[in-house]
Amino acid sequence: MTALAPIPSTAPFSAAEIGLLNSVVARSSPEQRAWLSGFLAGLSAGTPAAQAAPLAPPRKRTPLTILYASESGNAESLALAARKSAAKLGFDARVLDMAEADPAALQKAGRLLVFAATWGEGDPPQRAADFYTALMAGDAPRLDGLHFSVLALGDSAYVNFCETGRRIDARLAELGGVRVAERIDLDLDFAKAAAAWTTATLETLRPAEDAASTVVHVNFHADAEPAGETAPAFSAESPLEAEITELVNLSGTGSSRETWHVELRTDAPGFTYQPGDAIAVIPENDPELVAAVIEAARVTPDAGLLAHLETSADITTLSRPLAERYGRIAGREDVARLAADAASFQAFAADRQLLDLFKTYPATLMGSDLRELLRPLPHRLYSVASSAAAHEGETHLLVGAVRWHAHGLDRKGVASTFLADRRRKGDSLKLFVKPNRHFRLPADPARPVVMIGAGTGVALRGFVAEREAMGATGHNWLVFGERNFTHDFLYQLEWQEHLASGTLARLDVAFSRDQPEKIYVQHRLWQHRDQLLGWIGDGAHIYVCGDEKGMARDVDDTLARILAEQAKGDAEAGRAALKALAKAGRYQRDVY
Amino acid sequence: MTDKRARNEHIKEASRQLRGTIAEGLADQATGAIAEDDQQLVKFHGTYLQDDRDLRGERARKKLEKAYSFMIRVRIPGGVVTPAQWLALDAIAGNYANGTLRLTTRQTFQFHGVIKSNMRATMQAIDAALLDTIAACGDVNRNVLATSNPHLSPAHESALELARSLSTHLLPRTGAYREIWLDGERIAGPDGEAAGEEEPLYGRHYLPRKFKTVVAVPPDNDVDIFAHDLGFIAIVENGEVCGWNVTVGGGMGMTHGEPDTFPRTADVMGFCTPSQAVDVAEKVLTVQRDWGNREIRKRARLKYTIEDRGLDAFRAEVERRLGYALSPPRAFDFARTGDHLGWQKGPDGRFHLGLFVENGRIADRPGHGLRTAMREIAEIHKGELICTANQNVIVAGVSARAKKRIDAILAANGILVATSSGLRRNSMACVALPTCGLALAESERYLPSLVTRLEALLDRHGLREDEIVIRMTGCPNGCARPYLAEIGLVGRGPGTYNLYLGAAFDGSRLSKLHAEDVHEAEIVSLLDPLFGRYALERTDGERFGDFVIRAGVVAPTLSGRTFHDDIRLAGRR
Repeated sequence: MTALAPIPSTAPFSAAEIGLLNSVVARSSPEQRAWLSGFLAGLSAGTPAAQAAPLAPPRKRTPLTILYASESGNAESLALAARKSAAKLGFDARVLDMAEADPAALQKAGRLLVFAATWGEGDPPQRAADFYTALMAGDAPRLDGLHFSVLALGDSAYVNFCETGRRIDARLAELGGVRVAERIDLDLDFAKAAAAWTTATLETLRPAEDAASTVVHVNFHADAEPAGETAPAFSAESPLEAEITELVNLSGTGSSRETWHVELRTDAPGFTYQPGDAIAVIPENDPELVAAVIEAARVTPDAGLLAHLETSADITTLSRPLAERYGRIAGREDVARLAADAASFQAFAADRQLLDLFKTYPATLMGSDLRELLRPLPHRLYSVASSAAAHEGETHLLVGAVRWHAHGLDRKGVASTFLADRRRKGDSLKLFVKPNRHFRLPADPARPVVMIGAGTGVALRGFVAEREAMGATGHNWLVFGERNFTHDFLYQLEWQEHLASGTLARLDVAFSRDQPEKIYVQHRLWQHRDQLLGWIGDGAHIYVCGDEKGMARDVDDTLARILAEQAKGDAEAGRAALKALAKAGRYQRDVY
Repeated sequence: MTDKRARNEHIKEASRQLRGTIAEGLADQATGAIAEDDQQLVKFHGTYLQDDRDLRGERARKKLEKAYSFMIRVRIPGGVVTPAQWLALDAIAGNYANGTLRLTTRQTFQFHGVIKSNMRATMQAIDAALLDTIAACGDVNRNVLATSNPHLSPAHESALELARSLSTHLLPRTGAYREIWLDGERIAGPDGEAAGEEEPLYGRHYLPRKFKTVVAVPPDNDVDIFAHDLGFIAIVENGEVCGWNVTVGGGMGMTHGEPDTFPRTADVMGFCTPSQAVDVAEKVLTVQRDWGNREIRKRARLKYTIEDRGLDAFRAEVERRLGYALSPPRAFDFARTGDHLGWQKGPDGRFHLGLFVENGRIADRPGHGLRTAMREIAEIHKGELICTANQNVIVAGVSARAKKRIDAILAANGILVATSSGLRRNSMACVALPTCGLALAESERYLPSLVTRLEALLDRHGLREDEIVIRMTGCPNGCARPYLAEIGLVGRGPGTYNLYLGAAFDGSRLSKLHAEDVHEAEIVSLLDPLFGRYALERTDGERFGDFVIRAGVVAPTLSGRTFHDDIRLAGRR
């Protein structure tokens, strides 16, 4: 037997003790080691050693790479859960975030599990964009012999459902990879299917000899979560029912906006969040819309169905899979044809909803048909607008009420108008925390911070409150944008207080509709670029929160332009400098 | 010795000739307001900080400060602008203000709702239109009025020329306006005693209170000459102005419940030649500068100086400073206040349109596109556009051909040249709510509907076409000159007014309080029988304001100091 050294030199023993332990363990049989591990585990658990079950690890742990591309954290949690399962099965599993990885890292991976989310209209998650581009590029490394399988996450409300996962799956095969299990595409209600797929796929990836063995493995790594991010006490399945203690439309009379400030009592034990996190709100559907859907579907409702449609079913989203199912259930050839053709479906679905489908292609459905047709009602994410340190026992949200008119009907955002129209002070709201470890204040309180937020992006208020509560000495600069100074200056009185107290060292505002020319936050950044570069030079972290298309993209371009000008370089140099800031965690975005 | 001077005197003194910290305040993006002392100083620059009082209730809960914005008043001596200037002002209203132009009783435009971040751009746009807002408010000589249409005679033309000369001569000289609003350059400005040198006329403390100057040409008293601190009445010989009667000590403002404050009609002090007029104005202003009450702002207007020191003493001091005596006043005769509305043919054969603008608000409303109509007229008009002292507008100097086009524009936008009644033609309200900080009651937003209600009474008594002057203000300060109206309504509280009756139709006699704290139903039931009696009992050509005195409804007010005497309130109904 070769000289095995199973106890690593990093183990918490002296070098002499490690040598001693290795001299015993290296020569032990699997049975002996299993007994020993069980004995030791039992010892620390305070149970009699004799009851520890004799267990054994695999002869040689198979390396497995678990790669994820995450936007809201779902793909990341699936990846972490997969690592747990993989470890149980004896894999030597490591988790890689696409944001921090390079396709070359896959060349020697051997076995690969991918969890890939799709963002918006078929894009990769923002932080994974570089990896994704490199993987798709002509000079991507060959991945011959790589055993892989892909789980794709998406939202069927969008046309290019699970596009990122689909394209990664195809690309891995193109580059020589061997698909060991078929890809699965999952909608917002992914949890159960993802767990089942993970278990099955891991089995497939297991080497034959491992699969054949009957050895039961002990999990010594039950707490192998990233530091500081413990599993939340509340979840989609068991949300916190929080009392609404304040609910006020901050937009003044005369505003073209409707922006609700919501305060929630969240002093339940175990409920924690950090500024930067998102709060998932579990909404209910508008009873009037439920009635309209029932009428359009010509269903005879019972109380159970009504409750289901109000609280559990997505009755607004019009997706192709849904249209397919509807065509089948209703026996309508025309709907089946519509769903079969991507272009014509897209043309029909533009700014239309489920109700429009029922009204345009009526059919008489059974209650059970309707239940089968609809996917579960998804929760909605809102950036937290408070600081647990500053607002003890409270969680604040800033919610823009979504209302529009299309195809002859008034439409309403499900969660935002649930809050705005059907919740009152004293009512409860179901919610849980979706941690966002990619949007965090600097650990060093002396660092300056530049916060750029437009509209509800000024949930950055949570950051400002946190910095004040923490007594952070670094200067804070807020750049806020909205439409009109008079009616849309969200939290104006609070900013005035923060300026007076010095918590805010600087405030710049951009109101787009107050004057003939449009002024946005990026114009203020450009206008004050010398100061901004000074702040960056002093080590400032930059945070951007708000609408991607309406703001964050332009801010991103402007920051790159400012950095390019400073480097006396071209656009590419500015991009590279901005990327370097992002890599260093000094440029973080929470955009939607 | 304690300094008993009013707070504003200290603000002016420390302001480095009206600079204060206005520029710093404009740079503060977190608030739509400016510092409290600067709020007094910006008035001298022609602007007031206001807030939308309709919204006060909701703001704090929405974590918003008051809905601040600025009112900006343009300086237009005599109210005459070119069509190009009208178009520029119209564009400003759309770009930076609330989409309306407001004609005021000082023959000018006000913009409302200009937020702080747009202030410089607005002032610069006004400057680009070759206009300014200097001294349109504040303790200085305000916009100078002249009888409305210079084209009616050489005397009318002289009136406009004098108004312009007076305005220019009495203008503050401080560089603060240009620095703050136009150049944007921060110049420290002189401090201490040196400061006064920048203002040879006004010194460091400017006037004790506002100072209003007008020029009139009888028989029209369209400028309400007796309501102003200083006035010039044209004395015409052989078609030319041979000199001016000088009036002093008129003024409207008073305070509810303080009988030593009162409106006052001006005294005719003497007569001067055309070449003396500007000099006389300067000396009247400097005597008031030196004699005026700087301790009690409510008693700081020239009218109280003259009440307290006597007209003779005042005239003597003016003459001492002039170095010559004024001649005795010449005879003059005013026939009426108000404007000539409708088309009028001038002596030069050109046409002039006096267009009634209800309460001076030039706005587009459904079916009533007045702002659009005026813009379209300005686009084709070759003459002038004139703001009147009664918040109306005159399209002056129109050819016969252009007259047809203008009529077509008005018709296309739903604007009638004829008004619904003699009462409405002679109605006038101040701005009041929601922007005016002083308003105690509605005025501009309310008077039109009250007039409609009164028109029903007039119809019943056959008085629809009779000219009766009705004016309303939201507070007792009297911007719409309510105490010189035959029917005056002055706000006391939400929905309640004091009703004044008995002023002279020609603007020479003040009214008298008839009923206190009355609301609409009471106003209607008090006026209904009076209209009825007037219709039946009036003598030939007798005006409503004269009738109510003859009928014993109210006692005549023969001088300002007796305004609060002989009050016999009507019984409550």
